[in-house]
Amino acid sequence: MEQVVYRIRRFDGEKEFWQEYSFAHEPNKTVLWGLLKIKETADPSLAFVAACRSAVCGACAVRVNGEAVLACETPLDALLGRFGATLVLEPLGNFPVIRDLVVDWEPKAVRLAEAKPWLMPRDEFSAEAGCRQTQAEFKKINAQTNCILCGSCASECNKLSTGDDDFYEPFVYTKAGKFVADSRDGAAAEHLRPVLARGLWKCVHCQECVTKCPKRVAPAEDIAALRRESIRQGLTDNPGARHALAFAGDITNSGRLNETTMAVKTDGLLKSATRLPFALRLLRRGKLNPFHFPAPVEGIDGVRAIVKAAKEAKE
Amino acid sequence: MRYAFFPGCVLDGAAAEAREATVRVARALDIELVELPGWTCCGASHAQDVDELAAVAVNARNLALAEKLGLPLLTACSTCTLMLRKAKAALDGGLKDKVNGLLASAGMAYAGTSDVTHLLWALVRDYGLERLKAKVTRPLTGLKVAGYYGCHLLRPPQVMDFEDHARPRSLAALIAALGAEPVEMASARKCCGFHAVFPAERDVFKMTGTINADAVAAGADCIVTPCPLCQMQLDMRQPEGREAIGTAGDMPILHLAQLVGLALGMTGSEMGLGRHVTAAFHVAAKAGGR
Repeated sequence: MEQVVYRIRRFDGEKEFWQEYSFAHEPNKTVLWGLLKIKETADPSLAFVAACRSAVCGACAVRVNGEAVLACETPLDALLGRFGATLVLEPLGNFPVIRDLVVDWEPKAVRLAEAKPWLMPRDEFSAEAGCRQTQAEFKKINAQTNCILCGSCASECNKLSTGDDDFYEPFVYTKAGKFVADSRDGAAAEHLRPVLARGLWKCVHCQECVTKCPKRVAPAEDIAALRRESIRQGLTDNPGARHALAFAGDITNSGRLNETTMAVKTDGLLKSATRLPFALRLLRRGKLNPFHFPAPVEGIDGVRAIVKAAKEAKE
Repeated sequence: MRYAFFPGCVLDGAAAEAREATVRVARALDIELVELPGWTCCGASHAQDVDELAAVAVNARNLALAEKLGLPLLTACSTCTLMLRKAKAALDGGLKDKVNGLLASAGMAYAGTSDVTHLLWALVRDYGLERLKAKVTRPLTGLKVAGYYGCHLLRPPQVMDFEDHARPRSLAALIAALGAEPVEMASARKCCGFHAVFPAERDVFKMTGTINADAVAAGADCIVTPCPLCQMQLDMRQPEGREAIGTAGDMPILHLAQLVGLALGMTGSEMGLGRHVTAAFHVAAKAGGR
């Protein structure tokens, strides 16, 4: 192809509009190269953010054809091959927009601070001795250390898109998870409490955050780790924890999910009763059999032995 | 073609019609499904929230069972596919020896010789769409079908790795091979919310409602999905979804195997369409297979 078209969603502070820019294709360039070319040769009013150009600062994250990417490291040729000559560029999703492709991090930073994403050293550390940790201990938080706060994980987060009043951006859980797992930190509850209060069990498991992270951080895995820690601390009085425990229990008991008891185990008897109309809907169609209790699978003793061995391996 | 069949809990329970349709379709296509003896729940993307190592080990056992049969493992559920492939990736990525130490307590071992695939992938890649097309006895001419992927068959791509997660084409290609008209819907790759229906009910109903409304807006006669959990969510929770976003209009939601079965000449009854909450028989009627 000879020409590339960027169709950019613009915002001047008051109104939103679309604008197309066409420029000559050059091989082996990045999305950011195209933006800079537009700004330098066609329209200096186009606003976007870019700083390091080395996939370190995270400032240049934008949405291309609905997918968050770091503009500075994303090969243009790959996107043109995937989508054709016209690319649709938008600011990150689930962020307030300041102007054009520039999003407002201020409210996100306030939310991030609630999880106290900083080290609160254990009592035995001092200014003189420092906060040393072993390589093995560092390895446990190595992946999360790579988070550059680019916001890509939040852009397509399905839960966040539906409502953010009871859910954080995925990177908040990652940062909280890092300090909960950090051997030098002595205040795990200070990081865990806010994320548990705001949505830890409301992640919908859509895997968008894992898919979008340019640094191979996996916020969904961090959410799972925080959930495990909350269960370990006995914080199980919520439907999410009860649901997960029901699954784990069913696997040990019979090897298979028991659909009949799942709702009661998750919601309790009273809340389950409010779901009676739904249950009747399923009963009418034969989708729910209240008398179906899965028999233990062939080899269930082996399953139980494996689960027990896994538990002992961690202790 | 032979596979170790992993039905998963949902095909064993609430979505029994998906199991029936899968087995019938496989038989019609001369695909042999050997049910994995002693398979257990994959953890359904919840078990790892309690014990990550146990979740991997239980699926290592499932994989080892398939290895005993000397067959690749096939599921008809996107979440089962993801859980099994995640476990396999973790095992092959360094956990194998540690987990084999756990499996030894059950006299088992994971070698890494069996692949994990999904019915959709098997039909598209292993069986081949041209071959499938040749088996179609009642082309679904005139039927507008929106392909809904959902999450777990596409993401994360480093684990799933079948097609471009940002621009998947397999469902549209399969729908076209069956003689139907593929219809693009805006939320084909969005989450239906199934896995968080208990803790985040309000949001999940909005997600469900939006997906169904997108299919209505696209002019689809029905949605087809490769994931029985998505099917259940979009079908069983359709009234709540409509209420959550204030829309109207039924949208039949078909399991992948049901759509294939209709094109192979099977009836709506044989495909278990009567078990759906949202009336789906008119889809079969339109396809001439009541």
